[in-house]
Amino acid sequence: MTQETKGAADATDAERAADLLVTVASTLNERLAVTADELARSQSMLREASEELMTAFRGAADRIVAAQRATAPELAEKTAEYGVVLDHLYRAVHHLQSHDLVNQLIDAQKLRVDKMREKLEEAISLADPPIAHPGATQQWIERSRAMLDCIVAGIKQIDDDTRSPRSDKKQAGSVDLF
Amino acid sequence: MKTILAVDDSATMREMVAFVLESAGYRVIEAEDGAQGLDRATATACDLVITDQNMPNMDGLTLVRSLRELRDYKSVPILLLTTESSDTMKAQGRAAGATGWLVKPFDPATLLEVVQKVLR
Repeated sequence: MTQETKGAADATDAERAADLLVTVASTLNERLAVTADELARSQSMLREASEELMTAFRGAADRIVAAQRATAPELAEKTAEYGVVLDHLYRAVHHLQSHDLVNQLIDAQKLRVDKMREKLEEAISLADPPIAHPGATQQWIERSRAMLDCIVAGIKQIDDDTRSPRSDKKQAGSVDLF
Repeated sequence: MKTILAVDDSATMREMVAFVLESAGYRVIEAEDGAQGLDRATATACDLVITDQNMPNMDGLTLVRSLRELRDYKSVPILLLTTESSDTMKAQGRAAGATGWLVKPFDPATLLEVVQKVLR
């Protein structure tokens, strides 16, 4: 194989590698679009459930607080059922808080997916301008490298976001008075 | 009747805190971020402030620092009620002048217990 033929074969290989990278980035971007939709749908379902629960909670909470205020202190022993209602409402407080916190977690996931998709789209856009000398292997390699740098930056961003240790579950409800 | 300021960007959380405290006989006023919390605290004398940490416009720690600069809030108890649970954040809260740190999700009975304790 002459030097010229080998150079042309290398350039073709480098071009194929760059094309493959575009395919991978595009496929990943499409998959993440589906994930983003599913996250949004989960959040909307959770929001609907929370609103239903919140409406029921508000009605019951307003009545119990108003009834407590309106009741004369001497009748306090006759209103023991307030305690039972309060117990039920306090349980609802737990559910509503959980919904709220899950919503926040989904928000964080949506943000990460959006950031990664931005980086993938940036990487894909690097493949748009035509190569000045398609026969030059180095130019294809540089293009692939730039695309990979972009994808790696997206992954690093996600890693940095998720690296902060979260021991919320274990610490939930803990109290520290200074 | 003691007045408590509840600051949280989540309407659900504010509602939960307000219900728990109102059902125990406290008056609760609400604010949806630190900046609004500072305004409310300046306009109404509060006996206790309960604030979230991560909020738009002004976060909880900045609110604590800002309140501690006001003469009326030098000794008013301020509680952080947040999902943040790291020791570093708690140390920052303490340094800013917070009275206590509660991690969400909270247990209503525990919240009441803490409130009663710091208001005593």
